[in-house]
Amino acid sequence: MQAKTSDRLLGLCLILLAVAFFVSIIPWQAQAADYGWLKPRTLPRILAVVLGLCGLALLIRPPGDVRPGRFYWARAMLFAGVLVLGLAAMSWLGFVLVAPPMALVLMWLAHERRPLWLVLGAAGMPAAIWFTVAVLLDRPLP
Amino acid sequence: MPELSVILAGFGDALAPINLLFILFGVALGQFVGAVPGIGPVMATAIAIPFTFGMDPLTGIAFLVGVNKGGLVGGAIPAVLLNTPGTPDAAATALDGYPLAKQGKPLKATKMALFSSITGDTFSDIVLITVSAPMAILALRMGPVEVLGLMLLAFAVIAGLMGQSLVKGVVAIALGLMAAMVGTDPEHGSPRLIFGNYELYDGLPLASVAIGMLAISELLKRLSETRGTVRPAITLPRNQPRADRSVSWAEYWGCRFTMLRGAVIGTILGALPGIGSTAAAFMSYASARQASKEPESFGKGSLHGIAASESANSSVMGANMIPMLTLGIPGSVSAALIISAFMIHGIQPGPFLFSQQGQLVYGLFGAMIIANLINLWVGQLGLRFWVRVVSAPEPFIFASALLMCFVGVALASGGLFGIGVMLVFALLAYVMSAFGISVVVFIIAFFLGPRLEISLSQTLALLNGQPQKLLDYPFALVLMALALVTAVALARRRDTESETR
Repeated sequence: MQAKTSDRLLGLCLILLAVAFFVSIIPWQAQAADYGWLKPRTLPRILAVVLGLCGLALLIRPPGDVRPGRFYWARAMLFAGVLVLGLAAMSWLGFVLVAPPMALVLMWLAHERRPLWLVLGAAGMPAAIWFTVAVLLDRPLP
Repeated sequence: MPELSVILAGFGDALAPINLLFILFGVALGQFVGAVPGIGPVMATAIAIPFTFGMDPLTGIAFLVGVNKGGLVGGAIPAVLLNTPGTPDAAATALDGYPLAKQGKPLKATKMALFSSITGDTFSDIVLITVSAPMAILALRMGPVEVLGLMLLAFAVIAGLMGQSLVKGVVAIALGLMAAMVGTDPEHGSPRLIFGNYELYDGLPLASVAIGMLAISELLKRLSETRGTVRPAITLPRNQPRADRSVSWAEYWGCRFTMLRGAVIGTILGALPGIGSTAAAFMSYASARQASKEPESFGKGSLHGIAASESANSSVMGANMIPMLTLGIPGSVSAALIISAFMIHGIQPGPFLFSQQGQLVYGLFGAMIIANLINLWVGQLGLRFWVRVVSAPEPFIFASALLMCFVGVALASGGLFGIGVMLVFALLAYVMSAFGISVVVFIIAFFLGPRLEISLSQTLALLNGQPQKLLDYPFALVLMALALVTAVALARRRDTESETR
């Protein structure tokens, strides 16, 4: 995607976000007040307007300074998915049981195949973290 | 100005064995993370903050300062040895460091980088110690209107100088301020933008936002780029002539004006919000080449090139602390993280810090000087070890860093909810980076947001619906006018740059 096109797309998204904030999110999530100089909705609304104006500026004069196509979105989302699943598993099983397989999967997906480094990463590092936090610092792990 | 007894007590606190131990640990950790491309001292500071909860304030903050200082030294190691800067500010160091290493003198190059870094760092620390107390007295005279003006100026500078375009800088500020609105409205005490999650009553946890945006996002980017290639192992030559593996006093002294120029440039730029050590390093390098009698030697292994870059990038750190300690306004994300460490320990940086916590402040100054000495010692001893570290595989380093992020945020935020917030902001930062919206500007705006709202509220109350009352605050008017002029000037500069591109 051309850089200027992606900036225009960003501008459009910002305008939509600004409208969503102004019309829907702020009235829903911030109380109205009839006293005080700075009401709960004042600054969020100003920021929504600023975002909308910036979006308009990007639509009209896109700087064209970056190319989002240079980012590996699919792989990044894959790794993010592993982290989200790891978080969900931790809420059920805890850090000690989830960290080793999570680290192993992350390293495997990152093309690490050497057994020594896989063992160090999947067993050694979680053990070191457990020792540091639970034993030395006497703090609970998630 | 604190009394002499307080100052001496502060310096004495810095010499306590526990503080020396944690400074040493911080410096070593900083050099380690600085040496590994992809992590960096900012990420390490963000991850380390939650682990300082149980520490004494001086111990915890000195540890974090040690991490930052060590990182500035560590970043030069892969820059010299691999032509791959460990931190962005070491990119200028690679221009002469790598060619010198290729001439068979890698130890000479890394030692010159180390000595120049320590020299620049010490210079800015001395300026910090000298200037900050008088500045705090000046800052005490500032009321909410002046603070508002100063914040607007800081935002104008940061938006204009950081990131690719002014409009995107403003977007980053607006998004950061919007994130800061989550929690409780300061004037009315009503919940705002919490979407029914009462864990957000106190706002988004800073550790979750900072670690998610600075660490997780960058780690996701780096992991997604891994292709299974193994970094080359580095071996340092043994049995070299002494002249090739060390820097003589004559060589060091011969670079004194270059280092002094770099230190001055770095200190001035470091005291201004938003400019940062990378710009300082390149400006110093360019300035040194211009002033040199042998400009053609730059880029071919010149010791002056290394000295110029390293003295400048390291002197930014001490100067960054000037607005941070005296005004409570961070000029960089590292400073913002250190402010958050202060606040975790119940201490508010700003004009009252010197009068209320003078012993702590001078303890911190003492710790900074000690950290420079320890940085020099660890750098000299640890070089062969850091070389091995640089060769460690990225998947192992990144997976370990991710685990530490999970644990750090859980400790800071009290549970898994904070980790969920961290992941959300990591994804936001990834998208922002892809579209050229500065994450650093976002974090600074997020951090300053509550204070901006409070000072705006107080200003409006003081003006009482009469804008002409602003004339009673001439200094604030000057700051606001400067903010406007700065924004316009930087916008025009961006326009000129984009036209010539």
